[in-house]
Amino acid sequence: MAESQFAIETIALTKVFPDWWGRSRVVAVDNLNLRIRTNEIYGFLGPNGSGKTTTIKMLLNLLHPTSGAAVVLGGSSSEAAVSSRIGYLPEDSYLYRYLTAYETLDFYGRLFGLPSSIRKLRIETLLDMVGLAGVGNRQVGTFSKGMARRIGLAGALINDPDLLILDEPTSGMDPMGTRQIKDLLVELARRGKTILLCSHLLADVEDICDRIGILYGGKMQVEGSVRELLEQTGETQIRTHSLNESATQRIRQILEEEQGECEITHPMDKLESFFVRVVAKAQQEMQLTSGAGAGAGISGFLADKEIVRQLGILEQLVSAEPVQNPTITEADAVTIQTQLRPVTESSSPDNSLLRTLTASKTEVPLSGKMESSPSGAAQQPKPAEAVKKDILEDLLGRGKKTDGTTTPTDSKTDGETAE
Amino acid sequence: MKKVWAVARNTIAQALRMKIAGVVIILLLILLPMMSLVMIGDGTLLGKLQTFSSYSLSLVGLMLCVLTIAISTFTLSDEIKRRQIFMVVTKPVSRWTILLGKFLGVVLIDVFLLIFFASAVYGLTCLIPYWTEVAPQEYQQAQNEFFTAREGIKVVIDNAEIQKRAKERYQQMEKDRRLPETMTPKEIKAQLFNEERIREQSIEPGRSRQWDFNGVRPASDPNALIFVRYKYDASATPPDGRVFGLWSIGDLQSYEQGTLTTPIYNVRRDAPTRSAQEFAVPAGAVAKQGYLGVGFVNSPELNVSTVMVQDLEILYKVGSFTENYCRMVLLLLIRLIFLAVLGIVLTTWLSFPVAILVCTVIFGLGTVNGFIVESFDGFGVGMGTVYHYSIQPLLSLLPRFDGDFSPTKYIISGRMVRGMFLLRAAVETIGFKAFLLMLLGMWVFRSREVAKTAV
Repeated sequence: MAESQFAIETIALTKVFPDWWGRSRVVAVDNLNLRIRTNEIYGFLGPNGSGKTTTIKMLLNLLHPTSGAAVVLGGSSSEAAVSSRIGYLPEDSYLYRYLTAYETLDFYGRLFGLPSSIRKLRIETLLDMVGLAGVGNRQVGTFSKGMARRIGLAGALINDPDLLILDEPTSGMDPMGTRQIKDLLVELARRGKTILLCSHLLADVEDICDRIGILYGGKMQVEGSVRELLEQTGETQIRTHSLNESATQRIRQILEEEQGECEITHPMDKLESFFVRVVAKAQQEMQLTSGAGAGAGISGFLADKEIVRQLGILEQLVSAEPVQNPTITEADAVTIQTQLRPVTESSSPDNSLLRTLTASKTEVPLSGKMESSPSGAAQQPKPAEAVKKDILEDLLGRGKKTDGTTTPTDSKTDGETAE
Repeated sequence: MKKVWAVARNTIAQALRMKIAGVVIILLLILLPMMSLVMIGDGTLLGKLQTFSSYSLSLVGLMLCVLTIAISTFTLSDEIKRRQIFMVVTKPVSRWTILLGKFLGVVLIDVFLLIFFASAVYGLTCLIPYWTEVAPQEYQQAQNEFFTAREGIKVVIDNAEIQKRAKERYQQMEKDRRLPETMTPKEIKAQLFNEERIREQSIEPGRSRQWDFNGVRPASDPNALIFVRYKYDASATPPDGRVFGLWSIGDLQSYEQGTLTTPIYNVRRDAPTRSAQEFAVPAGAVAKQGYLGVGFVNSPELNVSTVMVQDLEILYKVGSFTENYCRMVLLLLIRLIFLAVLGIVLTTWLSFPVAILVCTVIFGLGTVNGFIVESFDGFGVGMGTVYHYSIQPLLSLLPRFDGDFSPTKYIISGRMVRGMFLLRAAVETIGFKAFLLMLLGMWVFRSREVAKTAV
């Protein structure tokens, strides 16, 4: 099949909902021309009722367009050849309450026609990856919303899809889970997947999306790369290590000579990054003092499982030692914001935490040297060894799509990570 | 096929969580043993066996039909309602695979439960003679008339001939100007028809009647028996409610011509009116070419009223009870398969409450199909072609669960479910009606927007 450069392309896609009598009532999607390139993370934004979910449903043949057409992966998603390459997570996980987490994934795996050996392997690694390995035999009806999202996401990945359509993937998830999902999506994109992401959590979208489109009233209001849309070319931001008083005075002086105003402050950490670091540190310490302190601060079975997951996955993802003093890491850094002519790229997505999680030991985050303003988290080259080549590679193949076969090495690494 | 199986497994898992499945199973587990102890029928072993087996098999059939209707109308509609179907139809699974998987799941549950409960009924039925103290002849009667599989040949009343005679009488009355003025011609014709019909079956005191049966092929076993099944009625019910009759069984045609090819068995029977009765004669009464004559004399010494012999039938053993019982269970399975398809197909379009209502109504119509068709036929007489091309084809699409399609009829009289009939029932109900329904369901489900919203 000749692949176009677009994973998703809609041509004047329109959906009008009729009332009971068949009269046209609500125009949910209006002449939408959506083009999502292969291997990009596309943020599909819009307020409630703007037509995002309707568009997704038309892409997936759950709804039929009133007019126009949608081409997904070069065909229609009603074709088995196309739908077998799509992973879909709807706005709610819509799980069978009576099935266990394992059975749920097994059912989806069977629907994709995966042979049982592959299914078994993938289910175990996926459960591990989304942090539900310990509750694989629990009925999903007893899961919290966040856990249901995790199992839904695992279900969307079981076929190693080329295109992921995710509707609010992080709704109901804790910040740690959200962070992991975001990292996972970035990693998936790095491995050649295309991701259509619907979310109301704009910070998340900003963090990971290459391009975004904002829908309102079923019409695309604005579309473009995150950088293009958010870059404030009227301002310049310089980040450096902490400066003494005389240095800041001199900078002010220079700027005054250039008729510019400036504000020199210490940069603020993102609450999300801060939260993740604190929790990671707490868990790290808990592991060291296993025994007396093991159960402290854990409320109930669910929390217990979450903690177990964190210890496993975070450590796998972060090959660096935990940051020793997380609360003051950025205190040395100073941000200078000025209204001078632009000299460097600014307003880049905050990928500090991603780096915290993926950087090697020697790369201490924001440790005073000038930042090179990467143009987006997704394009940030990641050290290949930083993300542990285990779960993802088992599941998604090495760099590219697997052909469904597993080498003995795969199962070995899987065995190692499943502990 | 693997995907069909995946959907089927999920359907089974879903159905087993339904409380109705548990209720049906528990009810049957309690009721069946209780019925085997409580039911005594007319007091004889045969009566007890007939009552228990027919009621319990009907109960199992009814309960499983109710369960099938509930599961089949719930399984797909619930997934659509809870939107779990989104996660299935977006996978490389065709819509027909989903329907087929649902069907397979429901049918597998049916097959499992049917085998289990039909075996229970069979076991209890076979045990009844052991824990009931009976005389040897009662036991023998049960063996001859119940634990057997018999072929039956009925006397067919030639309605056309009766109609002809009624018409002639009407014309005669018209010519003689004796038509009653208080009645419409239609009413008169109907009454004359009924009179002729009764006359056809009536034997006045001092008169005799002979029926000829051909194609009687009992087993070549020297101990084989021929059963004569009949029902008496009388123009005026005798004081003790009993009618007396003299029967002659054998090659009566040759006998009349003066030769005797078979023994002629003379049997005297007195029996209450309006209940089916049987007596047996050795199979040697059947002539070589399969002919059997049955004669009845209404002796004026014994009766004073005209006797009507109704539903006369010759029965003879052709197979074993176990084999026949399996065929009866298959008849039930055909019914369940149809209902499974019907329920699933209805929910491709209707929601659960509407679908279960429609399904129950169609099931109800199926169990009184004969009555419905008959009454519509009566109604449609005046409509001619319109009826023939509109209502009649629709009626013929209704499933048939009554009459010959009901297993109770066979088990009570120890009658064989013919292989050809079973095949016909399967082809008609599953191969044609259920298949058409399934095609319709696949078409509807294929073109349906599963996420459809109306505002």
